[in-house]
Amino acid sequence: MTRQVIMALAGNPNAGKTTLFNQLTGARQHVGNYPGITVDHKEGLLEHQGTRITITDLPGTYSMTAYSAEELVARDYLISNRPEVVINIVDASNLERNLYLTCQFLELGVPLVIALNMVDVARDRGIEIKADKLADLLGVPVVPIIARSGFGKDKLIDEALAVAARKQSWQPRDISYGDDLDAAIAALVPKIEATHFVDGLYPPRYIALKYLENDEQILAKGKDTDPATAAELEAIVNSVCEHTTKTLDVYPEAIIADHRYGFIKSIIRQGVVTHKFDTDRLYTSDRIDQVLTNRLIGPVIMLAILFGVYQFTFSWSELPVALLEDFFGWLSAATETILPDGRLKSLVISGIIGGVGGVLGFVPLIMFMFFAIAILEDSGYLARVAYMMDRVFRIFGLHGSSVMPFIVSGGIAGGCAVPGVMATRTLRSPKERMATLLTVPFMNCGAKMPVLALLIGAFFSDNKAQYMFLFTMLAWIVALLAARLLRSTVLRGAPTPFVMELPPYRFPTMRGLLIHTWERTWQYIKKAGTVILGISILLWAMMTFPQLPAERLAGYEAMRQNIASGYDETIVAEQAQERTVLSAAATDLAGQLQEINKREAEEALRHSLAGRIGIAVETVSHLAGFDWRTNIALIGGFAAKEVIISTLGTAYSMGEVNTDQTESLGERLKKDSNWNRVVAVAALVFIMFYAPCFVTVICIAREASWRWALFSIGFNTVFAFILAVLVFQIGSFFHLG
Amino acid sequence: MGLKDLHSGCHCFANRMRKCWGKEKCPGTIGPLSQKGKAGRIRICKVTGDRRLCARMASMGVYPGIEAEVICPKNGSQCILKIEGGTISLDNSVSDNILVTAL
Repeated sequence: MTRQVIMALAGNPNAGKTTLFNQLTGARQHVGNYPGITVDHKEGLLEHQGTRITITDLPGTYSMTAYSAEELVARDYLISNRPEVVINIVDASNLERNLYLTCQFLELGVPLVIALNMVDVARDRGIEIKADKLADLLGVPVVPIIARSGFGKDKLIDEALAVAARKQSWQPRDISYGDDLDAAIAALVPKIEATHFVDGLYPPRYIALKYLENDEQILAKGKDTDPATAAELEAIVNSVCEHTTKTLDVYPEAIIADHRYGFIKSIIRQGVVTHKFDTDRLYTSDRIDQVLTNRLIGPVIMLAILFGVYQFTFSWSELPVALLEDFFGWLSAATETILPDGRLKSLVISGIIGGVGGVLGFVPLIMFMFFAIAILEDSGYLARVAYMMDRVFRIFGLHGSSVMPFIVSGGIAGGCAVPGVMATRTLRSPKERMATLLTVPFMNCGAKMPVLALLIGAFFSDNKAQYMFLFTMLAWIVALLAARLLRSTVLRGAPTPFVMELPPYRFPTMRGLLIHTWERTWQYIKKAGTVILGISILLWAMMTFPQLPAERLAGYEAMRQNIASGYDETIVAEQAQERTVLSAAATDLAGQLQEINKREAEEALRHSLAGRIGIAVETVSHLAGFDWRTNIALIGGFAAKEVIISTLGTAYSMGEVNTDQTESLGERLKKDSNWNRVVAVAALVFIMFYAPCFVTVICIAREASWRWALFSIGFNTVFAFILAVLVFQIGSFFHLG
Repeated sequence: MGLKDLHSGCHCFANRMRKCWGKEKCPGTIGPLSQKGKAGRIRICKVTGDRRLCARMASMGVYPGIEAEVICPKNGSQCILKIEGGTISLDNSVSDNILVTAL
């Protein structure tokens, strides 16, 4: 029988856990040069010499105390799943700080193996580490590895399996914390042991330490499970706390931290680490920071870089987007000739090609944008953006850590609000988190981008990149103002401090960039092929049924015959042959018939379910300049924003029986009497800010509550509509259209 | 300067020294990191403020006695610290609470 082993990967943020996880399991989890990428734990499988290993990648943490969501996730996992071995990834170039977490694993007693990662980077920096000596002194196996290249991974797994095979119970290690605290621990432990406190899940000494460290989760658990013992423990802790603050002016956790570092130093100073030299690379990275994060030049460079991203995306993607658009035009025309007239043809051309093609046509644009974001992320610059933006975010009641959710959601256009909403887990303050969570859907996600690109392309074609940049800025401004509004009304509260580790600048590898670009682009394509296809077909059905009553259809047929009867039979026959060159009379006849067809198609659309809804909403939406066809698309957008484009495409392509015209949707909108520049801006504003898509709403409900999810639908829609009305009314007043 | 002034000055200095955890390692003038206008090497003397923050800072390697490099001259409130192998960015609410001395 195959042996089964459960392992966990744990360590500091950016120590290379996910890189090692991918190396071991062959997975392609997102590895970012940005702290806090892994918020939840991820599982993978690995076969090693006949052993089946389930390996879990835990979020990066600096300690095992409940100071952040990641720390809670990691600790809860270890306690409730009890992995047979924990691989602690330690960054060799920052050994002392990384061993601080190791100390806490030792105190918890988990079976441990240390993976000494980035030994190559450490060597470049002149740091030599004697792994054997470190292993002897700590009493746990230490294996030097290079997660990026896979060096040492087999040995690491061998060691981990050897530890797991011993099947030892958890053996907590004791570290001395000085006379005062050791005495307090000695008083706490017997009480914890006697009452089997907190269900005996944690080692008694560990609970005592967490009480001294004022760990909110353990304190709350204690109060819930055994209030009497909890009160006794708290009394002891309070008295020692009073003593340390009076004599040393510090809380116990500071003394604990000091002793932990003392313990670490005592180990590494026994010849474990030798510094050969300081290398220039460190200074290069620092010098880059001195310029890029400078108070004055930094933000200017940041804006220039972001603008560069837009220039790059739009100029480079123009040709492939145009080619794809032509391809779908050709496909529609080809289908037109192959399929017989009827509902199937309408479904394929209007529903499927118009719907999915409309979304897929923008794949190159999305791909270029993701590529640019991947460069920023992998190089480490994105973390600097968060740092610089903290100053601005603070004004609006948000936090520097809100930047990543904003960027993921489409702060640099092209993200998605769903991972954005999930990324808010890194925020520790519930109110700042809620404000971020509710405003991230305002960003221009990958689904809104095609709408922006389409309308900007159609109405402001001269300066596409500039307008795109402008609308992205607008999204930011509106999101920040909305956050300010929320923070000064329903989410009032004090700000929390910003502390974030900046990863070193790294040259992104082409492989990494391509993987990041592809994984995000593939998600977009997959969505187009599944969810969007389904919604497109549903909307097509809503726009097709119920069909016109037979007498109305007969009426149109009679009108067509009536017109045809006024012409000579040869002219009618010439027109019916659909030749490219027609005589003047035949052209006239074709024009009249097309007019009738158009009227019939419009009436059919008005008669359909979607048309009826669109018309009903028009009584209100005309204030913002939206006609009933646009309304259909906007209502479809509640399901998914991608659908807006496809529904507009369907609404404006329906009834165009004569598909010689393979003109794009943009051109059609430009020619339509209901559309002009003002309507386009009003529509863009509305689309950017109205209710989040269905998936995001569910995600908000899961992360917060249904109350907040419904609030986001109502608040955003009303807010967006007011803005759109203002834009349309003011624009129309000044005849800007 | 009168005796009284001298006494109050000493008293103030003594207080500052008392506040400094790991004070024997901080012989120079001690002040909040947020008011340190120049880049260069510093030593952390004390981390004050919210308990959770102090503990978090310690877990990130910012604790009394450790030396660091300030990489954000003239940035006033915001600050980037280079500690051991890591680079940590802080806002003013944090750097206000980190008392340092120049080396």
